[in-house]
Amino acid sequence: MSRKKLCEYYWAPFKSDCEELLGRFQQTESVRYEEFSAIWREMDFSGVFFGTQSDHEKRYFTRLIFTIAYRYILPPYSFQIRVGGLYMIYGLYNTQLIWPKEKIRIALKDWYDVQKLIADAKSCQHLDVVYIFKRLLSSKAFCFTAMPQKLTFEARERVQHNVNEEFRDHKNRVTELASIEMLEEIANMHGHYERLKKSSVPPSSGVTLLNLTYLVQKCAFEYQQWQDKIAAEKEKNSKKETTQKSESSSRAVMLAAIKSKSYGHVSKGTKSRRHRQVEMVTSGSGTDHALFSQKRRPPSLRTRTWQNFGKPSEPEQTQEWLLSVMEEDKNALKRKDIRRFKWRNNWL
Amino acid sequence: MAESSTLICEENQHENVPVYEFMDVNSKEFHIGAFRDLWLDVLNPEVYSYSVTAPEIEDVEFMEEMGIEPKTLEELKSICSVDSLRSGHDGTDNVPSDLHLSTLKLRKRRQDYKETLTRYTVDRHEVYANEMEMTSVGKKPDDLRDLIPEGEIILTFNIMYPILFRRFKFVRAYQTLHVLGSQKLSDLRDAICCVSDLQVFGEFSNTPDMVPQFISKDHYKSAFFFFNGTFFNDTRFPECQDISKTTQEWTRTRDFPEFKTAKMEDTSFYDLKMKVGFPYLYTHQGDCEHVVILTDVRFVHQDDCLDIKLYPLITHKHRVVTRKCSVCHLYISRWITTSDALAPTDPCLFCDQCFRMFHYDDKGNKLGDFLAYAYVDPGTFN
Repeated sequence: MSRKKLCEYYWAPFKSDCEELLGRFQQTESVRYEEFSAIWREMDFSGVFFGTQSDHEKRYFTRLIFTIAYRYILPPYSFQIRVGGLYMIYGLYNTQLIWPKEKIRIALKDWYDVQKLIADAKSCQHLDVVYIFKRLLSSKAFCFTAMPQKLTFEARERVQHNVNEEFRDHKNRVTELASIEMLEEIANMHGHYERLKKSSVPPSSGVTLLNLTYLVQKCAFEYQQWQDKIAAEKEKNSKKETTQKSESSSRAVMLAAIKSKSYGHVSKGTKSRRHRQVEMVTSGSGTDHALFSQKRRPPSLRTRTWQNFGKPSEPEQTQEWLLSVMEEDKNALKRKDIRRFKWRNNWL
Repeated sequence: MAESSTLICEENQHENVPVYEFMDVNSKEFHIGAFRDLWLDVLNPEVYSYSVTAPEIEDVEFMEEMGIEPKTLEELKSICSVDSLRSGHDGTDNVPSDLHLSTLKLRKRRQDYKETLTRYTVDRHEVYANEMEMTSVGKKPDDLRDLIPEGEIILTFNIMYPILFRRFKFVRAYQTLHVLGSQKLSDLRDAICCVSDLQVFGEFSNTPDMVPQFISKDHYKSAFFFFNGTFFNDTRFPECQDISKTTQEWTRTRDFPEFKTAKMEDTSFYDLKMKVGFPYLYTHQGDCEHVVILTDVRFVHQDDCLDIKLYPLITHKHRVVTRKCSVCHLYISRWITTSDALAPTDPCLFCDQCFRMFHYDDKGNKLGDFLAYAYVDPGTFN
């Protein structure tokens, strides 16, 4: 099997590593590089490159992880996760072990999103985000392309990327609708309409005038208050629950805590079992791997004949003879089990 | 209103920004020259140039942009330096013992499995797989006029071998060629190595010593590319005919949209509208058809091969096992015989010496009844 196909088995484990790193970063609730690099050193993340002997395999692996890590810079992820993705790419680019260095492919359609991210960071004066991005640009880490991956029309290489719901950016649609510009526009239009009405039609008493701007604002404010109230309640509840857990593994506890204190939005629940279910779905025993078929040997002609024409429930009575081996040697007739390496162990 | 004019601008942009038509399969059609212009509008020229700006200039620019003090910048540099990412382990060849990452766990399992194997099989394909690419990476030309200008686009084409042999039914064999955007389609055509170009015509059992005067490449020079409804024909030589005409006439009788024709040697890649990842067609020799896929369109980088004379550049070729003579199994076969009473199989391959020793006597008379053709092995391009 070619190295390329073998490397694709690393997709699922690496994705789960990324999500762990970003999950811990999300828990710190900050966008500072210091915190990120502390987590990086703690997890010893640059070790993902260790252990491969051949240069060829290293190169394919590096390309694969860049493809995975690149997705985290783009929407629909939240701002913190996107900044974390940028830091992760900076880290992976600088700790790769091959020369010439593998570049980070960035497509034109994604460049606009990345520029927006940097512009947001600049306006909030997040100096480290901008500095890291500038460092990547000046070390010529980017390769400006049309599409984020090389497209070779091979069915084997198409892999689904499932967006982790924890990291998704939750748009506050009500505040977006009732934004200041929108309210101003509504107020202007309303004033304009009033003037026109006054000038053209004689004032009739019947219709009561609605102040639309005021109503929209009030609704948005109420919604915001309700959201904050719910979030505060959930946090109180979760704090009680996390103190009760004493026996679950440390990792489950930490990840459950990430779930409960997630960055500003309504959390789903804190049971560790619930969380583990989510993790399995995203980390690939089911949907998140390539669409190649499992290699199971089809039944041989002999078994098929026995099943179709013989008595399938009874074992076969035929005895095999091998003249070159002693009769007592039972192992000689058994088919040698070619132990293949099982890449995907479901219990791992 | 200001909003609608920005919307119109964005729509023009969107036409040429490549997006997926089918996710992860291929992109929508976009004009390559316009795509390049869009990128050039957005990028600072320093970003894609080959030279590196001095760090002091960068620092000054950064300080001006963000409005910070030099002290803050120093602090920032020390925090964000590469040392913050360094791991504790020095040895990178073996998986470290304390495993936390799932990637490393998988790798350790594979390493342990490999250690249980008694025989270490070396996959020769893998060992030499990158060899071709590595010979040309980072090559700077001696003559500076041959340097690729900054901001040039490199297109990568995968050209599949024609499915003539049974062996190619199960493996998707391809060559990878890198071309520059400013080169013409005819340059790409010249760089494609296909064994059918070297085939020699004629039956030579009676005249084995006559050296064939021509190969198919010189004789049948017409070829065409078919991209997005346009046939690009090769019209450089007077012998070239428009072999796409038959197909076009046939489509006119059926329910197909109208196809256009253009000249291969006048069109550069910047003028084309292409879909990335979508299979296209290249035909030569009348019926030797190759599927051509544009896999990648990107800017040239300082680590690429920068010598313009080496383009179109071959980076990957599928290695075909050469077929040796049936008699000696040593030399590469040059003759193929059919309906040969003396040969064990029909058809049968011979190298030059075995062929003459076997079929002709000392005086050069033909022994037995057979038909002999000149054979070009598919592995000649290895």
